[in-house]
Amino acid sequence: MRGRATLAILEMRLRSERRTLAFACATAAVAGFVAPRALAGPVFFCSVLGIIIALVQSPGRFPHLDLCEQGAPLFGRQLARARALVPCAIVVPATLAYVAASAAFAGLRDIPVTLAVTLGAAVASTLIALSATIRAGAAQLLYVAMAGAASAIAFTLAAVAHSVWGAIAFCAFASFLAVRQYGETLARYDPVET
Amino acid sequence: MGRLPFEGTLNEGLLSFLLRMREACFAASGLTVGPVTLDVDPGERATRVCSSVREAHVVALMAAGIVKAGSGCVLIDQFDPRVQPAHCKRVAAFVPHDPLPLAAAEFDRYIVYRAALWNVDPPRALAHAKLLMERLDGVHEAFAVPLAGALVCNPKIVVLDRPQPVYAARIVAAAGPRAIFSTHLHSQEAAAFVNAAAAALTPV
Repeated sequence: MRGRATLAILEMRLRSERRTLAFACATAAVAGFVAPRALAGPVFFCSVLGIIIALVQSPGRFPHLDLCEQGAPLFGRQLARARALVPCAIVVPATLAYVAASAAFAGLRDIPVTLAVTLGAAVASTLIALSATIRAGAAQLLYVAMAGAASAIAFTLAAVAHSVWGAIAFCAFASFLAVRQYGETLARYDPVET
Repeated sequence: MGRLPFEGTLNEGLLSFLLRMREACFAASGLTVGPVTLDVDPGERATRVCSSVREAHVVALMAAGIVKAGSGCVLIDQFDPRVQPAHCKRVAAFVPHDPLPLAAAEFDRYIVYRAALWNVDPPRALAHAKLLMERLDGVHEAFAVPLAGALVCNPKIVVLDRPQPVYAARIVAAAGPRAIFSTHLHSQEAAAFVNAAAAALTPV
């Protein structure tokens, strides 16, 4: 894909979502300060935050940007990659804020593992939940449930099976499939409110 | 030399239109639009009067290749939006009905954003957009900026969803030799665009 188009979409969307970014980081920092120090707190909090941020990207929030991007000569997969970067660019700083606050004020230990698993789970959940934004009804709920399940699987692999690399590999694979699926759906999507 | 049965029709058809809709229908839950049949030739100003806001919106989106027809045929400069959507979107530029909620300081950013999406050189797009804004003098910025943004991408046809009839002459002048297709809710609004186009063609 043309890098310019990706960066333009990312910049324009992030500028429009700057308050969301600030609130997400502030909320994550507060949660990191008070949350339990185990892996479950950051993984599930940041995943839920990612799912919410992804759902906020639903069509209709910035209709002019939606129409500009739908009307631009980009293929579905190209547009999907650019749009997928936007919630990830919000959820990654929020996760860093959570872990930083938790490490500084709540005595979080094993920071690299916590950070890697949390980032993986949050990004995978966010990308899976993106597909819910262009669906309705049961299909939308199914994608939100799958996003939650991805987070739970990543946590189980890391905390129960003690396989951090397994958790990261699972998150990477789930993220790849999620972006592909989002692109396929976006290519067939008709931006008409029903 | 003998001709294949479809040869004449195909060759003539390929060269004669920018937008062709044949029995084009769109159906989603609770919404059915069409069938729509029309042709827009290069440089032509065509209008369509629709019975509802939604119909006008969907017909304009179908004409711009943003929404795909469920049945029937839509061709934009020989390309089918169902098969070659990116090619169609290079040819047709869509201008929405709603005003753009944009601060004056954001004009440059918006034009650069659109230029990046259409792979147009940003300084050239900005210079072009400023010229267009001069041509659109008198048109409210909220309506002028999206039109200028659409025109900097150098489309062959401009598709307008329920444009303001009071700005018809300015819009036609800004579009220059490009074809224009617009949807309207009333025949008087469509007539304003047809008359503006006729006035633009009349030698002074």
